[in-house]
Parts: sequence; structure tokens; C-alpha cells
Amino acid sequence: MISEAFIPAVASLGSVALVLGLIIFYVSKKFHVEEDPTVLIVNDILPGVNCGACGYPSCGQFAEVLVETRDSSMSCPVGGPDLAEKLGSTLGITMAEPKPITAVLLCQGNNDNARETAQYFGIQDCWAATQTYVGPKQCKYSCIGLGSCIAFCDFGAMRLENGLVVIDKELCTGCGACVPACPTGVLVMQEKKAERYFIACNSHDKGAATKKACDAGCIACQKCVKVCDDDAIVIDNFLARIDQEKCTACGKCIEVCPTKVNCILLERDLGEVKQKKAS
Amino acid sequence: MKTFKTGGIHPPESKFTENLPIENMPVPAELAIPMNQHLGKPAKSLVKVGSEVKKGELIGAADGFISANVHASTSGKVKGVKPLPHPSGQYAMTVLLTADGKDEWAEGLNTEPVNWRGLSKEEVIGRVKNAGIVGMGGAGFPTNVKLSPPPDKKIDTVILNGAECEPFLTADHRLMLESSDEVIEGLEIIASLFGERAKAYIGVESNKQDAIDALSRKASPKGIEVISLKTKYPQGAEKQLINAITGRTIEEGELPFDKGCLVQNIGTAVAVYEAVCKNKPLVDRIVTVSGLEIGKPKNIRAVIGTRFSDISAFCGEPKTGTNQVISGGPMMGKALFTLDVPVTKTTSGILFINNSGIENARERTCIRCGKCVEVCPQGLAPWLLANVAQLRDFDEIQLLGLANCTECGSCTYVCPSKRELVHWIKYAKALVNNRQQRKSA
Repeated sequence: MISEAFIPAVASLGSVALVLGLIIFYVSKKFHVEEDPTVLIVNDILPGVNCGACGYPSCGQFAEVLVETRDSSMSCPVGGPDLAEKLGSTLGITMAEPKPITAVLLCQGNNDNARETAQYFGIQDCWAATQTYVGPKQCKYSCIGLGSCIAFCDFGAMRLENGLVVIDKELCTGCGACVPACPTGVLVMQEKKAERYFIACNSHDKGAATKKACDAGCIACQKCVKVCDDDAIVIDNFLARIDQEKCTACGKCIEVCPTKVNCILLERDLGEVKQKKAS
Repeated sequence: MKTFKTGGIHPPESKFTENLPIENMPVPAELAIPMNQHLGKPAKSLVKVGSEVKKGELIGAADGFISANVHASTSGKVKGVKPLPHPSGQYAMTVLLTADGKDEWAEGLNTEPVNWRGLSKEEVIGRVKNAGIVGMGGAGFPTNVKLSPPPDKKIDTVILNGAECEPFLTADHRLMLESSDEVIEGLEIIASLFGERAKAYIGVESNKQDAIDALSRKASPKGIEVISLKTKYPQGAEKQLINAITGRTIEEGELPFDKGCLVQNIGTAVAVYEAVCKNKPLVDRIVTVSGLEIGKPKNIRAVIGTRFSDISAFCGEPKTGTNQVISGGPMMGKALFTLDVPVTKTTSGILFINNSGIENARERTCIRCGKCVEVCPQGLAPWLLANVAQLRDFDEIQLLGLANCTECGSCTYVCPSKRELVHWIKYAKALVNNRQQRKSA
């Protein structure tokens, strides 16, 4: 048996709901925005992390511009070639294949190689450490090793190990969010390659000072410059740099590097840091 | 007794060296003279390796409007010009000078005192500029710039800052006692630049009664008022001192001259006197060497460029318990990573302390007790600034008055959770700066 008191409650709430429903219906019709369904499809394909690596603030914005302009040179570095292909087939154009890039740490000054000047007890953040002095490590160009960049990585590709940031090359999508997060500028973006040689040092100190501060520092000895057949290595301000365009990955430089821990590193495309030492 | 209105703390004074007369430290064999000892653009080095210089010779020329000259602090030979550690914690271009032991002044400098009353306003400011004088309290703002405010700003109050509110430090205290004539003469020179209208004050905290007595005896006949201030930190901060003495408040974005005030440090006043009357450039300063861990705490007169390691040897070497050396006072000074850094124009003290409890004093969470808000002299909410800094919300933090923080350290001092409030604020300032630089680039 339904109580009499039920009826006015149902009636009043029901009529309120009906009125509100009608308003919502009217508003949705009146202010309807025509949206290109392809934008939604493209947006669904995109990774959706809003990292900003493409130059647009969000994935949605990228999708809108891409659908509108159909510009085949636009690319999402995070998605890589797979995504480019998907986007191409959805839009019926041939997308340019993005070059896979990765973040690279130009430092090997871990707790074994680098010497510290002082103990640091302050806030565990690189920027905070640089407010007190150049950082706990003697080398002012080094990875401070407190991991400010890690918080900026949306892909979980960075971790701290033995006083250095380690980048997982498989997880790194090359969005570049970590680069401005570093106060010493020791993180750079480089193209992924089957075999890639690079100088894992950022120190512009003179050789003697670098050697004093770190076992793995580039002392600008010129040996690698002389042995390189491709003229790919130049020394600028007491630091060697390998031109990735010219480098043919012959590996001669790594054989002659005289530092205690080789300052030249070989990285194979995905992960795995290998070191060869002259026998 | 006068003091500033908002906030403030009273840490243990620990002025161990207040009764020790200033000792002249002999010039060491090698000096390291940095080119940036002031706020603004570093000076441009004028010397090359091998150049012979006389004491007081210009070795770094002011480069730009806000910059200051740097002079050789002794006679000798330039050994090198390269980036070396600076007490600010960074590396700075530094002239290495090997002393020849003669300590010979260049011609025409450090003469017998002349009467400054015959000099014009421009000549006085010119001499201050040539002498490379900067604010010696810590910030190092070029004094000649401060002495020439925009013409539409009328200065009616000139204040000499003898508060010396930082614990341990006694350099200004000793200077007020031992060179009270020079202090007053220097203040008169500064006040004379602003005509008859300017009223001159010397603000001294009440824990330096002997200095108040010595100064007032000589100052009152000259119309200078010596004001005894209630001992409270940070009384020596420019804004707080103005508030304590005149009752005026410097609002956000304003400078002291907007409220008709000019504040100079005691050391600066003596330097102004020496520059104007004796034509002596700023080549030495008084430094307090103190802390529980130094063999013989002292007040010393050291030439600019004397390395801290030489000073620690002169003061009887640090004890084995030393694990932190601070340049400046314990509240605002910087912990150092090497003793190879030199005394600069702004080094007021060197403290050798034992901080062995520091590892256990890690940050804990905020308990919202509100103590930091109570003590903040700038009326900020430090706990909130630190929280927002931790969240990296750098738009919000600027609305909360980040730029208003003077980094006096009162909030960190009182925090029962041992939060590094000032460090978080400095961190936020660094990142806000970095972001603006990237935006404008």
C-alpha cells in the first residue's frame, strides 16, 4: 500500500527534474558546437599524456591542428613510427616518419667516479642544492644526482642510481620535458641509433681540474679527434663533442680514450650501456 | 624602546667577540680578489698575468650602471685571472695576486685626511664611486648609486645601520667603539648630500650599550640622533630598520627612497669617510671570526681577497668538531664547501660551528602551529609559500608575495617541524627566475 504522503514528494521532485531536463535539452540544442568527428578519432589515437613535445600544449590541440591543416610534417615524437602510420591511414595522407630521439645524460660522475666537496643535508632537489653552492659534487657541470628531472618525466623512464640519473632508453619517448628541469644542463636530446657514440661528460674545466674532480671526465686530450676518420669530433672549450650526423660508429675513438673510466660511451639503440676499454 | 612592528625573533646573542679589539691581520702571501663583490654586473678585469700592481690600484672597472670598481688590496704581481670559488657558493672571475710583502700604496692614495666640506656633491659621489664602495652589510649594493636617488625622490631621513642583529657578529659593534669619529664623519658626509632637510640617525640595538654611549657623546652636538633599539632579529634589515626608527612601512615593490629614507651600514660610513677624506679605496674590512669551534675567536681587519684558510690559521685553526663553516651570520649566511674562498667587501663574519645534530633534523610535516606567520617580519605565510613551492605551482606562489621575502630565516628558526622554509622559498625564487629567463629567451 503506497502511503498518501508519497504522492506530493514524487510529483514535486518529478516536475523539478522534468523542468531541468527540458532546460538541458534546449541548451544542448541551442548551443551545439559542430565538431569534426575525425578530431575525436585522432585524439583517441594520440598517447594523451599532454607532454608538449610536439610543440602544442595538449594532445587535443595537436589533433585539431593536424586535422585542419593535414600537414604531413607534423609529428608526435612520443608515438613514434607506429603512431605516424596510424595517423596517416586515418587521415589518408603519408605522415613523415619521426626520428626517434631520447634523453641522454652527459655525465658519468656517479658516487664512485666523482668526488664530492661537501655533504649536503638540505632539500633533496637539484635546484635547491644549487642555491647553497654549485652542488655536492666537485664538478659544477655534473649531474647533481638529486633527481629534479624525475618528477618531470611522464613516462617513468628515469631513476636514480648510485648518485646519477639513469634513463631507460626503452621507456624514454623523447618528449624533452626533463631538459629544462635540469639546473646544470647535463641532459640533452639525441637521436636514437643502432650504435651511437657520444662523450658522456659536460665539464668545460681544463683537463687537470676535470681529472681532479672526476675519473670519467673528458680532459680534452685530442686523442679521439686525431683518430677519427670522419672528422666527427671537435673540441670546444675543453670538451669533446661528437657530431652525430658525421659519426659512422666505427668505434676507434673509444679505443684510444685515455681516461680511467672511458669518457666516450657506446649506446646501442635501446638501452644497454656498453663500455669497451683499450686492452 | 623602539623596534619594528611585525614579527621578529630573539635568538641567543652569542656575541663572544664583543670585547675583543680589532686586530690587523697581516697580508697573506697570496690573495684572491673576485670581480663580483657587489650586486649587479661583475667588474671588468683590467690586469693580465704578470702585471705589477700597487696597493689601491684599480684592477677591475665597474661595468655598467649597477657595478663597482675593484682595487688591488696589496702590492704585488698578478698570478692569474680565472674562475675560482666565491663565498656565494658559485664560481666567479678572480684575480690571483702574489703579494710582494711591501704593501706599498699607489701614489696619491691613503693621504692625510682633508676637509670634505669644501667638496661639491658630485665630487663626493665621484670619490665614493672611484673607491668601489658597496653596502658592507651583506647585499653589496653599489653605494654611489644609492647616494644618487632619482631627482623627484626627496630624502629626508638618513639612517646608519648599527643594529647588527645577527648572532655572533660583532664587526660593526667594534667599529662603532673604535672608530666612532670616522662613523660620525662618514654619516655627516652622506647626510650633507641631501641638504639641510635630511635628519640623520644611528640605530643601535640595546645590547651594545657601550657603543650607544660612545656614539651619542660625539653625535649629539652635531644634531645626529643615536637611537637605542630593542634587541630583535631582523632589525638590521633595511625595511625593518626604517620601520623601527621612522614608523614608515616600505610596501611591496617600493624602495626606501620612495618613503624618503636612505640606510647605510656602519662599515660603509667608515669607508665613505676614508674614500672622501683620505682618498682610500675599499681594500679592507672588519670580519668577525667566531663560533664555538674556532681556536681563538677574533675581530680582524683583513684585506679583501684574504682566503678563509689563512684566516682560520691566524685565528688558531678550527677544532676537530667543526663540520660547518658559514660566511656571514648564522641566520642568513651561507655554508661553504671550501675554505679557499676569499673575504669580499660583504663578508661580515666567518663562523666555525658544530652541527652534528643536523642529520636527525630532517624535515617533518607542517603542524599548522602558525609560529612562522607570527615571526615573519614581512607579514607573509612562510608555511604556505613552502607548501606551494613543493607543489611547484609557481604562478600561485608569486601571488602569495614570494618577491617580498627577504630570506631572513626567522621562520626556519622557529619551525618546530624543522621545515626548511627559507630554502624552499629560495628554491621557488630560482625556478621562477629560470622560467622567466626561458620565456624571454
